[in-house]
Amino acid sequence: MPEQDSAAGQQALPRLAAWCYQYSSQVCIPGARNGLFLETGASKRLFGSTEQLGKRLQQELGQLGYHALTGSAPTPEAAWLAAPEGLHIATQADVRRQLGPLPLDRMHFDTAQRASMERMGFRQLRDLLRLPRKSLTRRFGPALPDYLERTLGIRPDPRAMYHPPQAFSSRLELQAEIHNCQGLLFPLKRLLEEFCGVLRGGDNAVQALQIIFGHEDHPDTPLNLGLQSPTQDAGRLLGLLRERLERLRLPQAVREIQLEAATLLKFNAGQHSLFRDTPAEQQQDIRQLAERLQARLGNEAVSGLTGVEDHRPEYSWRPRTLDERPECTPLSHRPPWLLPNPKPCVIEHFEILAGPERIESGWWDGHDCRRDYFIVRDHHGSTLWAFREYKPRRGWYLHGIFA
Amino acid sequence: MSTINQLLSATPQLWRGRQDNRGQQTLPTGHTRLDRQLPGHGWPQGALTELITPKPGLGEFRLLFPALAETSQRGQWIILVDPPWIPYPAALQGHGLLLDHLLVVRTGGGKKALWACEQALRSGRGGAVLAWPEHISFSRLRRLQIAAESSAKLAFLFRPANAVKESSPAALRLQLGADNRRGTHISILKCRGSRPTDPIWVPQLFSAYGNHRRHTQAHATFTEHTINTALAGRSLSATVAGPVHPRTKH
Repeated sequence: MPEQDSAAGQQALPRLAAWCYQYSSQVCIPGARNGLFLETGASKRLFGSTEQLGKRLQQELGQLGYHALTGSAPTPEAAWLAAPEGLHIATQADVRRQLGPLPLDRMHFDTAQRASMERMGFRQLRDLLRLPRKSLTRRFGPALPDYLERTLGIRPDPRAMYHPPQAFSSRLELQAEIHNCQGLLFPLKRLLEEFCGVLRGGDNAVQALQIIFGHEDHPDTPLNLGLQSPTQDAGRLLGLLRERLERLRLPQAVREIQLEAATLLKFNAGQHSLFRDTPAEQQQDIRQLAERLQARLGNEAVSGLTGVEDHRPEYSWRPRTLDERPECTPLSHRPPWLLPNPKPCVIEHFEILAGPERIESGWWDGHDCRRDYFIVRDHHGSTLWAFREYKPRRGWYLHGIFA
Repeated sequence: MSTINQLLSATPQLWRGRQDNRGQQTLPTGHTRLDRQLPGHGWPQGALTELITPKPGLGEFRLLFPALAETSQRGQWIILVDPPWIPYPAALQGHGLLLDHLLVVRTGGGKKALWACEQALRSGRGGAVLAWPEHISFSRLRRLQIAAESSAKLAFLFRPANAVKESSPAALRLQLGADNRRGTHISILKCRGSRPTDPIWVPQLFSAYGNHRRHTQAHATFTEHTINTALAGRSLSATVAGPVHPRTKH
């Protein structure tokens, strides 16, 4: 599958190889050539015929900004010749028939070889294929018949396979400077789609990544993105970035964008039920919600709650992260709301409904207190939680609301 | 005529005055008297419910406890967007709300709160979202209503007394009021799928606190236990508290 994009394309090959890994577990980067080999025979049932797969690759690479040509054949060298012609050769027997008429200037021979072939009157590939090996060796040396035999599949053609890396880094130089954050979304989308293709290829997922915005003459602006759970979904990442970009202040116009993911994790795709209502899916949905909210409102904005073993109500709770397990002793007669700070009050304004409940605690940590709690009602009919404090300050305070 | 029928069956926003709103999914409130008055006999799922309270402390939050307990015990989430005070974990747990399915979002209010609310309503399927918006326009309410529909969530908005005068796209609007002797009464201002009825008294919600005779008994019990603070909790719950028990089926 050759890549028609000169030097930049050559540089992108390892990244594209990782991206292609989602379509084939055997990807090969042939040295010095602007293209990739994919073994597709094994994934036929998954992706359909090679023509269909070829079209799909061309289209998806096109969306990522690459111009690709695809072709297929039983051997790598034959496929290399088939790609510029858009040929899809099914069997070994067809190789000779379909590639035979190919003019020799389409072949990748060096100029000296081309010239001598011309002189000898060879015009098409089939002219070469007709000659016996011995005669070819005499005229052109042993490399040419070797090559032809590999093309035809007579001689095996083992290749070093590409292995996707466990980290990802990609850089995109922008064609024009981008001044506002919203304008960055489009190039970011392209980077993220490529990145997620690579993730899918290696059956990987990402939980933390860094995006670095490069400026003309100003230090780079980094943006770190952390997720509640690993993902390989470009849409989810883009959604989070959109929120983050709204808050980002750019010191200068952006010249280039770099995406770095230092660690890739194994992706663990759960089964999806039709209505997304299993506890695991609920968990997943709530984590994604937490992420979206945190991206815009900050990490502190989203939390769970847990009890803390302490008799003093104000010390008996704290926020928890979603990874922590909550622990709590249930007390159903306590009010559902606590006031952040106990509010001094005049007890004569209230009717006492129940109490007292003595709470005496905290002598060990300097917040020693002794209180009697009462359930009271004010003249509006609101039921409140009040306490009479003996230590450290004497007086009556409101501490909760039976809302 | 058939077009009208089609419209009626396809859009939950349209209903006939006398018809029970059958398309509406509901979750029992846990209060028999209230359930009896509500179309579908419970809180509407996938729709906004407004709880209008002149003052906090009338039991407006505890009114929801049976349904919220059921929600969390089903493995669905309860999301509180900008709760006005600190939720007391021991009390929530005491009424059967599982803390591992409770999420608190602090936005700082304003537009961010409404945005967070909409996000919460749109996320996942099932569960409940509770919010305390200060001011909210009709169009914003409408957006929340649509968001709630998309995820079949219970959506409760706690609103101040002056909200009574505003019109609202909410499926259910309740107004809570207090009476010193009879506890809290609930008026149905609007309910999609049936006609508003007379106020409902929900004495069982607050009888423990509202009934004077019970109060004196409770007082006597407590004074015996003033020293033992740890046990005081248990004796309290046995005598006074637990007005709304999550598992109680009436």
